[in-house]
Amino acid sequence: MSIPMHEQVKGILQQVQSEPPNILQALLVLQEKLGHVPLEAVPEIAHTLGTTTAQVAGVLSYYPDLRVTAPGRHLIRICMGESCFANGCGRLLRALQDCLRIDVGETAAGGKFTLDAMSCAGNCAVAPTMIIDRDLYGRVLPQQIEVLLERYK
Amino acid sequence: MTRPNIRMHSWNSSFSIHNSPFSVSMAVRLYLSNDTSARAAGAGLLADAWSDRPEAQLIRTSSRGAFFLEPMVERDSPDGRLAWFNVTPEDLPSILSGTGGTPVRSIPFLAQQTRFTFANFGETEPLALDEYQARGGLQGLEKALQMEPDAIIEELKISRVRGRGGAAFPVWNKWQVAQQTEADEKYVVANADEGDAGTYCDRMILEGDPFRLLEGMLICARAIGASRGYVYCRQEYPAAAVTLRAAIHEADEAEWLELDGEFFPIEVVEGAGSYVCGEETALLESLEGKRGVVRARPPYPAQSGLFGRPTIVSNVLTFATIPQILSRGGAWHAALGTEQSRGTMALQLGGRVKQPGLVEVPFGLSLRQVLDQFGGGMAPGARFKAVQVGGPLGSLFPASQLDIPICYEAFAEAGAVLGHGGIVVYDHQTDMADLARHFMAFTAHESCGKCTPCRIGSVRGVEILERIQAGSGTVDDLLLLEDLGETMKVASLCALGGRAPYPVLTAIEHFPAEFRNRLGQ
Repeated sequence: MSIPMHEQVKGILQQVQSEPPNILQALLVLQEKLGHVPLEAVPEIAHTLGTTTAQVAGVLSYYPDLRVTAPGRHLIRICMGESCFANGCGRLLRALQDCLRIDVGETAAGGKFTLDAMSCAGNCAVAPTMIIDRDLYGRVLPQQIEVLLERYK
Repeated sequence: MTRPNIRMHSWNSSFSIHNSPFSVSMAVRLYLSNDTSARAAGAGLLADAWSDRPEAQLIRTSSRGAFFLEPMVERDSPDGRLAWFNVTPEDLPSILSGTGGTPVRSIPFLAQQTRFTFANFGETEPLALDEYQARGGLQGLEKALQMEPDAIIEELKISRVRGRGGAAFPVWNKWQVAQQTEADEKYVVANADEGDAGTYCDRMILEGDPFRLLEGMLICARAIGASRGYVYCRQEYPAAAVTLRAAIHEADEAEWLELDGEFFPIEVVEGAGSYVCGEETALLESLEGKRGVVRARPPYPAQSGLFGRPTIVSNVLTFATIPQILSRGGAWHAALGTEQSRGTMALQLGGRVKQPGLVEVPFGLSLRQVLDQFGGGMAPGARFKAVQVGGPLGSLFPASQLDIPICYEAFAEAGAVLGHGGIVVYDHQTDMADLARHFMAFTAHESCGKCTPCRIGSVRGVEILERIQAGSGTVDDLLLLEDLGETMKVASLCALGGRAPYPVLTAIEHFPAEFRNRLGQ
């Protein structure tokens, strides 16, 4: 039997309590455990941390890496930084969009891949960069995409 | 100071001498970088492919920063290290037999550099404290511990070191303000939110020489009387956070994470993808767990920073520069560079150059020299169009303006910024209107929303540039863009809004035809 969401949230947050509460770090821990931060959990989060729903919702909506919906099983991020831009990340992104038939921010049918853009991965000397989950690939060519994606089940 | 308890270390290598079932004499020590970009270039692939080869003992080092040569494999020789470039798994036999290697000291890209802050790169294992010490590490801290705080600050004043993160503020001045402000607690915060696209030297330090950062932070803490340190590390650098936490653990075990007999805790805190959190006041808000929104200054963080206490927020590269200023003396540092820019700068080459990588040189070389001498010219098939210095908020330079010396004063005079030393080269295929829109869209996406010029101005800027791209822009739109840019420059709260117009306006200034030819009726 699955544990109700608010119980899960409370359980996770009780391990990261600090004074004063650190909302961002609490949300990052929740996301780490749950894959995302469900909007319906915001009141429970606020209550457990001893702050307001407005504060929690404010932080949640501010940071690009915090997600309110569950991503696909694998998260693909294309670096859009200037060095990657100069080295054709636009072509790479279009190739991925064509291959997966989704736009940036969307999850492919079947829930396997979510496609995202990021501003810089700091891999500028080995551009363009693609990150799948925690694996970082450099000097990626559009024609390599299909083979790379096959590694992820 | 208590001397660290030195122990052999084999963190990144599962092939340490102690674990190997084979005798030491059989295995050849091969040095392979464990830096994220080296792995992205294929170093991880080599490590996997050779994991069952007992004749090769892999030592995972930091990277020399010559990324165009990565994956690079080195071995010892009577002439110093020999290197093999762009190695594939099949190259192992020739490396083991010692055929075809190039002496590292004869690689022009490296030989022409002046490496101080990056002297250990490619040589040492990032978490080997004994190697760090053997190469001069901890000498700066030892010296600082014997000095009065005022004397440390005086030494920095003599060195004339300026912050390397972008603002280029004199370091001694900031430290003095924090030192002289009365408070129950003070903090030292390393800004490891290296968000400027085209920059990666902080990532290299965090992953490759983390003790240098910790040493710099401790010296700062000693000078201002801080009791706690934080490293705000961007989420995009997972390997950096792991290495840094391990380094803190090592330093703690070796008992040098202390000041006046008191433990000096340093905590690594990860961000969540917001660019503006690299701005010092937004960073502090984020560190407190809030929205990463810019604070109005004054008061400056050195007076009232984290939780309202005096806080020194400095870039990773700045802290990493400090130890040698103490160990070699402020005058040594002041003797390098130009009038207003003393010391060396870590330049990071990227984009369409032939030889992208890290270049540490004294301030003062011209942009052209850096691109030719180190960048090696353009990548095959690419023709130069423009170069951007200083990240996504930096100005664009056309071919006619490459003689500018790389130093704060020349860039300030040209209305440009050196920023964090990122240099990105664009080739003939770059569509300048598209690039300008890309910059403005970046600001619109990353604006924290606190001040109107940046929040609304960036969105209006994107709209105008999209109109121009779509062929329905007018001459008035170009004037409007300029007017908007001037407003953002003077009225924004921080550098994001204040600098955002520069790449856009310099693109229009140097490549006007690409915009004018697209205008509608």
